[in-house]
Amino acid sequence: MAAGETAEASPAVTETPVRRGRRPSPRIAQWIRTWYFFRRNTLAMLGLIVLLLMLALAIYAFAYPAPYDGLTQLCATNGGTNPAPGCLCTYPVGTAPPGPNCYQTPADFPSVIAPTFTLSPLAGGPLPLGSLTVTPGTPYFFNLYAGMVRGVDWTLMISVGIVITGALAGLLIGAVAGYYGGWVDETLMRLVDIFLSVPQILLVIIMVAVLANLPEFTSFVARIELLILAFVITWWPFYARIVRGQVLVTREQKYVEAAQANGASRARIIVRHIIPNSVYPVLVQMSLDVGTIPLLIGALVFLGFHLFPTPYFPEWGSLAALSVTNLTAFLTTCQLPSGCIIPWWQFFFPGFGVFMYAISVNFLSDGLRDALDPRLRR
Amino acid sequence: MRMWTYVVRRLFLLIPVIIGVMTILFILVSAVPIPERLLSVYGANRIGYNPTVPCSELTRNLSTPGNCTNPYYTRGVQDLGLNKPVPVQWGVFMLDSLTFQWGYVDNHSFVGTQFTLLAAEPVTTVLSWFLPYTIELALLSLLIIVVVSIPLGNLSAVYRNRPIDQGSRVMSFSGYALPAFLLGTLVLMAVVLAIGPLTHWASLTCKGTTIFTDFYGSWPQAGCYPGTATYPTWLSAGQVSYPTHFPTVDAAVHGDWGIAGDTLLRMVIPALVIAYGTIAVILRFVRNSMLEVLNLDFVRTARAKGLPESQVIRRHAGRNSLNVTVTVLGLSFAFFLGGFPVIETVFGLWGVGRMLAYSILVPYDYGLIFGSTLLFTYLVVFANIIVDIIYAYLDPRVRLG
Repeated sequence: MAAGETAEASPAVTETPVRRGRRPSPRIAQWIRTWYFFRRNTLAMLGLIVLLLMLALAIYAFAYPAPYDGLTQLCATNGGTNPAPGCLCTYPVGTAPPGPNCYQTPADFPSVIAPTFTLSPLAGGPLPLGSLTVTPGTPYFFNLYAGMVRGVDWTLMISVGIVITGALAGLLIGAVAGYYGGWVDETLMRLVDIFLSVPQILLVIIMVAVLANLPEFTSFVARIELLILAFVITWWPFYARIVRGQVLVTREQKYVEAAQANGASRARIIVRHIIPNSVYPVLVQMSLDVGTIPLLIGALVFLGFHLFPTPYFPEWGSLAALSVTNLTAFLTTCQLPSGCIIPWWQFFFPGFGVFMYAISVNFLSDGLRDALDPRLRR
Repeated sequence: MRMWTYVVRRLFLLIPVIIGVMTILFILVSAVPIPERLLSVYGANRIGYNPTVPCSELTRNLSTPGNCTNPYYTRGVQDLGLNKPVPVQWGVFMLDSLTFQWGYVDNHSFVGTQFTLLAAEPVTTVLSWFLPYTIELALLSLLIIVVVSIPLGNLSAVYRNRPIDQGSRVMSFSGYALPAFLLGTLVLMAVVLAIGPLTHWASLTCKGTTIFTDFYGSWPQAGCYPGTATYPTWLSAGQVSYPTHFPTVDAAVHGDWGIAGDTLLRMVIPALVIAYGTIAVILRFVRNSMLEVLNLDFVRTARAKGLPESQVIRRHAGRNSLNVTVTVLGLSFAFFLGGFPVIETVFGLWGVGRMLAYSILVPYDYGLIFGSTLLFTYLVVFANIIVDIIYAYLDPRVRLG
């Protein structure tokens, strides 16, 4: 903390003489300084902007839910004379088509629908981002726009939920192990070693495969919770190890000694002094992991593992995986290079979404690390 | 502490880890329904077990085994100790796991029904058929990674935050952030479009005449051999290659250099995709450890005494930053040996990762899943020890401190 109050602190803090009377607390000052260094990293700022855009999209999707997101209902099953926005519809023989994307029988539905960009995507009319064929050759569709908009919600919720829960567990266990030392440390660290020895993704697979048999995990919400639980159980050891390493440094600091001399209890020292000052490396790792989780989920879905309660779950990683499976099937039946159109939109939108998420989070974590670590600043 | 003391101490620390891992797996395996568990432990053929007989409807409540008339069921329950206290079951599980008795491939699972040659084979045998191909693939990818990442990492540390650093960061991160299945499929598509449907020998992947069908349809040829109708005698149908199961090595042993080269050639593109996907992590470690070393005093001394900058970087900083790199490379090799389920599935390679990918399809093959987990856990633990010992050898502070 002493470093935080020296004269060479960030210009943002020291330059204005008016504020000299109420200087921000050292911890706030450190955040301001971090922001000062972070701001100068172009890539990290780009990543932050992309993430904020995604967050805005998630709020938008929450406020204005896309119709027929494919979560419970496939778009084309909504056949009827009344076309739902962004869906396919059917109409009786002999009448005029009531709207775009309307066909006389479901058998007339085209096998893929290319995207048509309109100014008001949520209004009725063509499928804005095209369609994702559910089973190649059958007239059932996944409205890709709706899936993408709905998916940003699930993507953020699942990945951030996993990472925050895992980090909280790791933070607590790592702090206790590092601060108490001795046999507590030995025991907890052996536990961490044990969990780190099993390949993470395999542990997730086993847990989902085995525990999904149990009656407790049959409902929709419980299945998502099981997924999050499985990831958290495999991921907390990373955080615990990182935190412990940092706590070993933090507990030797002067302010911890001062707190001990003041007679603060151990719990208070851990919660008020150790954890807030050891949290930075975990933040970096967290922001890195958040982007990896949709990739892992996508890989599992691609392999055909029954991860989600419904086969067409609107999560970006799994949408990308489904689209690639569809692409493969489509190309096999279509006999390249005889000149059929490759349905690029199917894999492009979810794939690009996952890519942007993962890469911006990576840049963010890189910038965060550089800004938090005084040795790397310069 | 002397070196051997460190090694012995490190080996002793292994015991609680192994016991703990076994306990976790034991808890999970206990949650598997008993009929499935018996199938994967004993193999359906061996216990004459048929899921259509009433035994399959038995609940997991062992106190009332129900009206099971199948004698093999009761024998299986007794052999597994499922009617005994939990510690006994745990002991049986530990013993079986440590002695490589990992059960059999269930012939009602997806793997068992799709690959009849694998059905009711011991899990260890099946893994030993498919692991060698993955090892070759992992070695090749690791070679590519080392060749690219160490020079590039050093360069981007030296020219920190300059265009070369930013460029390598963007390139490597983009490989990391692209889903492997998407990247692999696009690369495969591009390759096929580029070289067209040529003959098998000229084809650069393991795919067959049509783009997305497997090379000659199916197993048995673990590995990826040219699909001629008549196999060489050492590669007779129904067997994996003989004698080492390493496809390239076997071809070379039998003097068939054409097949050896061809097998290797078909590994190149998947290995490139794997390397592109994982290089970001390694690059970051190389760059950061180089950055730390560059700030140390002995580098300043080397500069102060007037050594040319290239020599400072190559001889002084580069060598010393290699410690961390060796560790990371060793651990990622162990991770690679866990197979590349996605890449192997996309490119149609027959490695251990692909077997794992099949075993998690819906009639799960619990024997294969748990067997692969045990195998990969052993590999990771083993690699950890090797890496620690190498690190302690390279950096005496570890064993002294």
